[in-house]
Amino acid sequence: MNAHIRRFGLVALPLLALMAANSRAEIDWSRPLDQLGLKLPDTVQIHGFASQSYLRSTANNFFGYTQNMGSLDFTEMGINGSWRPIPQLQTSLQVVYRRAGQTDNQDLRIDFGFLDYSFLSDARQTVGVRLGRVVNPYGLYNDTRDMPFTRPSILLPQSIYFDITRNTTLSSDGIQVYGEQRTDFGDFQLQVNGGYARTEDPSWKSVLSARSVSGEPSWVGRLMYEWQGGRVRLGATSATMNIRYQPEPIVLSGLIGQNVFSVFPFGLPQNVTATSLHFSPVLFSAQINEENWSLTSEYAIRYSEFEGPGSPVPNVTGESYYVQGTYRVTSDVEGFLRYDVLYADRSDRNGKKTSAIYAAQGVDVPAYDNFAKDLGVGLRWDVTPYFMLRGEYHYINGTGWISPNENRGETSQHWSLFGVSASLRF
Amino acid sequence: MALRPSVHRPSRRSTELLAAHRMTEPEFVPGQARKRVGFTRARRALAFVLVCLALGTGTAVAVDVVANPSVPDVALKRATAWAVFSMRLRTWSDGSPTTVFVLADSSPVHAEFSKTVLDTFPYQLRRAWDRLVFSGTGQAPIEVKSLAEMRDRIHTTPGAVGYLPAGLLDKGIRIVRVE
Repeated sequence: MNAHIRRFGLVALPLLALMAANSRAEIDWSRPLDQLGLKLPDTVQIHGFASQSYLRSTANNFFGYTQNMGSLDFTEMGINGSWRPIPQLQTSLQVVYRRAGQTDNQDLRIDFGFLDYSFLSDARQTVGVRLGRVVNPYGLYNDTRDMPFTRPSILLPQSIYFDITRNTTLSSDGIQVYGEQRTDFGDFQLQVNGGYARTEDPSWKSVLSARSVSGEPSWVGRLMYEWQGGRVRLGATSATMNIRYQPEPIVLSGLIGQNVFSVFPFGLPQNVTATSLHFSPVLFSAQINEENWSLTSEYAIRYSEFEGPGSPVPNVTGESYYVQGTYRVTSDVEGFLRYDVLYADRSDRNGKKTSAIYAAQGVDVPAYDNFAKDLGVGLRWDVTPYFMLRGEYHYINGTGWISPNENRGETSQHWSLFGVSASLRF
Repeated sequence: MALRPSVHRPSRRSTELLAAHRMTEPEFVPGQARKRVGFTRARRALAFVLVCLALGTGTAVAVDVVANPSVPDVALKRATAWAVFSMRLRTWSDGSPTTVFVLADSSPVHAEFSKTVLDTFPYQLRRAWDRLVFSGTGQAPIEVKSLAEMRDRIHTTPGAVGYLPAGLLDKGIRIVRVE
């Protein structure tokens, strides 16, 4: 047991145990502050979550040293407050503590905090603006990816929701303009963000082989269509995230290429002072929700453009998709089956060309670093409305979405990842 | 629990039921919930079949949307009702704020309301609220513990909206037609 686990255990495990024990008793977790004798007005809400996972892999590491005995390094806790003094105005803040092995800085961070004002809101439409650290409208699951109960599984489909760069994807600092149109044949929602990308994910530095990484003005927009209260949901997302970074002068020291960005950073001349990455994904989402089952699929094409003097591989186009079925056995138990695929370079799906380019530079990058095919299956049991248990198994071919930070030694092409988690909410 | 009567007048049985709920009894006790669900579902199914046979229509609604008398809207389109209960539309037609009350996800009355009034499922409503709350773009409705609390909070909160089985209506609460 390392110090982190001990420290975490001292604080969080008794709390989890207490909450779990109480969640069946008479304590009403839908109004947590009432328990403390604090009566808030109806316009103020406090919500939160806490989750601990155990992950174990047969090879390679994900969210901690997951080989051998497995790892308890994946911990999530968040608290969320909102105040809506008048119907047109809301202010919201979510503070999250997160540990995820070497892919996270293991600290408190503000995942969103903004002012939301709607200029216009009636039965037909809503138009407004949000200012601050705003959640990026990106696909079906990004907006609430913090919160374990809203995810379809312990681990989101990694081909589209890269967790090793989750802060960048989750939110940005700037402005969001939004509009909703309600019609007799469904609801349309448009959200467009403009702001600075967050770059505090520690994997950026190793993935880009950079000394420093900073966010530049970026944008992301999503159009969603929902028919009959979400029975059918269709979405299209487009974005350009701009990231500026200072390359390491020593090229590729100890770097093992891991994903789409790893194709680039070799052969940089020593005098390069700054380089930019323009990452432009286009994402299509579709979901059908029936009483006992849901079917979900998303497809992404990802354009990465590297800009700067001496960029040897200026462009690479990646491709991702997953298909996921969920079946609700009862209202408390559901299972999922998912096939999730990532290609770092869609013109080199087996990764051999990329591997050869690296080999010519004297760097050993296995072909299987450039893809990942993950067949996942799992169960979710909502023991109470406030306490959830999960278990899942992934059979994975390729290492396209694991972090270089956690996998500096030898990796394996074929591996399995097993996980269980206990999560609380209020 | 009652088929929809042609005139909304509390029957003696439903008055007793409401009185029982007023005795601070929570609507559903964990552990008993499943048994009750089955029982209620079976009765509902039977009632539904009988009404269909009797009236030759397929529209037996056992749960009504109800509101505080201050609410200006006497009827809502189904899409508007969805917008209100999914917490996306936060104002009534006169601009006054909505306050939404719901029962627990596991409540059979909530399930009936979700399906027959909104044409959706309880898990879909929960997802819609979670999407708002945990992205900071909205708030969740207020969850009440019993039908009696639902009735009382709607009665005393301006702009309040919720739902009740048709037999449990009372003074100081108004039905909102969903069409």
